[in-house]
Amino acid sequence: MNHATGAMTAGGTERTQDAWRHVRYLFLAFLGLWIVFTVFPLYFMTITAFKSAAEANLTVPTFWPQEWQPRNFIGVFDERTNFNALVDSFVIASANTALSLFLGSLAGYAFARFPRQAGGENLAFWILSNRMFPPVAILVPMFFLFDNTPWGTDSHLSLIILYLVFNLPLATWLMMVFFRDAPVEIEEAAYLDGWTPLRAFFKVTLPLVIPGMISVAMLCWIFAWNEYLFANLFVGTAVRTYTIVIPTFTHGSQTLWNFQMAFSLLALIPPVTLFILLRRYMVRGLSLGVVKG
Amino acid sequence: MAPMRRESDTDHPEWFQKKRKSRPLIVARWVPIALVGLPVATLLAIVIYPTVWMFYHSLRDTNIQGLFMGTHSHIGFSNYADVLGSERFQDSLLHLAQYLTFGACLQVIIGTVLALTLYEFVKSNAIRTVVLIMLVIPMMLPPSIVGVLWRFLLTPSNGAVNQALLNLGLIEQHIEWFNAGISLWSIIIADSWNWVALPLLIVYSGRVSLPPAVYEAARVDGASQWKVMRRITLPMLKEVIAIAFILRFTDAFKFVDLVYIMTSGGPAQSSELPTYIAFQRGIREFAVGEAAAYAIIIFIISAVIITLFLKYMKGVMRARGFA
Repeated sequence: MNHATGAMTAGGTERTQDAWRHVRYLFLAFLGLWIVFTVFPLYFMTITAFKSAAEANLTVPTFWPQEWQPRNFIGVFDERTNFNALVDSFVIASANTALSLFLGSLAGYAFARFPRQAGGENLAFWILSNRMFPPVAILVPMFFLFDNTPWGTDSHLSLIILYLVFNLPLATWLMMVFFRDAPVEIEEAAYLDGWTPLRAFFKVTLPLVIPGMISVAMLCWIFAWNEYLFANLFVGTAVRTYTIVIPTFTHGSQTLWNFQMAFSLLALIPPVTLFILLRRYMVRGLSLGVVKG
Repeated sequence: MAPMRRESDTDHPEWFQKKRKSRPLIVARWVPIALVGLPVATLLAIVIYPTVWMFYHSLRDTNIQGLFMGTHSHIGFSNYADVLGSERFQDSLLHLAQYLTFGACLQVIIGTVLALTLYEFVKSNAIRTVVLIMLVIPMMLPPSIVGVLWRFLLTPSNGAVNQALLNLGLIEQHIEWFNAGISLWSIIIADSWNWVALPLLIVYSGRVSLPPAVYEAARVDGASQWKVMRRITLPMLKEVIAIAFILRFTDAFKFVDLVYIMTSGGPAQSSELPTYIAFQRGIREFAVGEAAAYAIIIFIISAVIITLFLKYMKGVMRARGFA
């Protein structure tokens, strides 16, 4: 490159960089606006949870509680069913996570190690496609399918099995990605040393994928914890998940916004905590393993 | 025997270095099938039967009574004809188009812009992390909380959003957020609040994992920041952004819970999406035949889209050495 063109490029760069500086403020302003848009509802939710019932229903809403009422967080549990709903959600989410993880690891391992013998790419993609299909297309028959089982629709077991529809494909797919990343050579070496396949799996491969497994478990747990559509159809009197309880905080014709928001905040704690702990793996799970987090 | 083995290994040193993904382990043939069998059987049981059931009833005049008494008869494709010819369905397609453009697509664009802004212009790592966590929290909320919260915020008479806009002097009088013509926009606003974080997170992580060497080279060549963005960053993030689009698009065809909680499709069916009608007719009104026709139509549309997307994803994953 000769001297003249070098200088010209440098001059041009300076000018565009100057223009870029103004564009930068524009983009930063947009980011700031979006942060306000994101945080405002969360903020209002939080302060509403501390308001009295009367204040939450004022004609002119207040943006700072006139009187703090932290008792709301205990008051919501005066009705036993609200607490039971959290327990039900917890039981269903945890059991479903364990089941998804177990079945998903089996299939994921098979797809990662013996792609051809296990049914090949097409089977793997068919499993994944189950996660993408609209659940409304199968809602009605689902009800009758589980109504005919001995435990019926209004039970933990039905929802635990039903949630496999979206969590099993996720677990299978992600475990496949994680098993693929675990080097097969070590496992082969263990075979050559005369270990049984089971021992080689548990002692060599499993420890390598444990971090991935934990993140898959957390992701599945969050999805099952937050599920609404299926639960809305299935729950009756015996089992109610917390997502179903939230829209029902009413007293006569009045909505108990403060209780509703307090209960929502409490229910938010587990998924938000999990997210903060696993945000590194989150992306990988949400993008089905395509983007490395 | 042993020394000979070692000798042959040293003859081929790359045996250890090369990753040989194609070479399978030596196991009995039934092992992989047994491993895959249980999960696949589970999925088949809970997915195939309902799909077949839906298809069967989409060809019959089933309603709630007929369903329980077992009295329903074959009527061919007239359910489909009714659905495709109805104004309700055609309107809902327009609503879906509006949702896909201003919900799904715009969300991905906004998420991409936010992610790149955050990465390129915010230099402090601590601030980035805090902002990311703040922006992603809405995604951790279940649809029922999101729906209820936004219905509360957008209440026309004493809602917080109207009051805040009034206080800021941006509007003169209350906006009727749940009137016909606006209610779908309200849903889109709530949905964007909920889901912009998904493309944002994906694109942000994609940007983080781009190799810094490329940028070093561009800097040495004196490329402007804008040029680097257009010629290097965006092309290299193409696949990642496409994945974000895929995820939001397939979600759009599943989208029903916010509509149900916030507006119930109203007022006067002005915010109904096809999935919501299938839900409403099937679950709330038990017009099973018609709902099944809706469901199968949605099913076919999403099957086409999902197949196209998965094909694309296969290519991406092959290129990245996954599949």
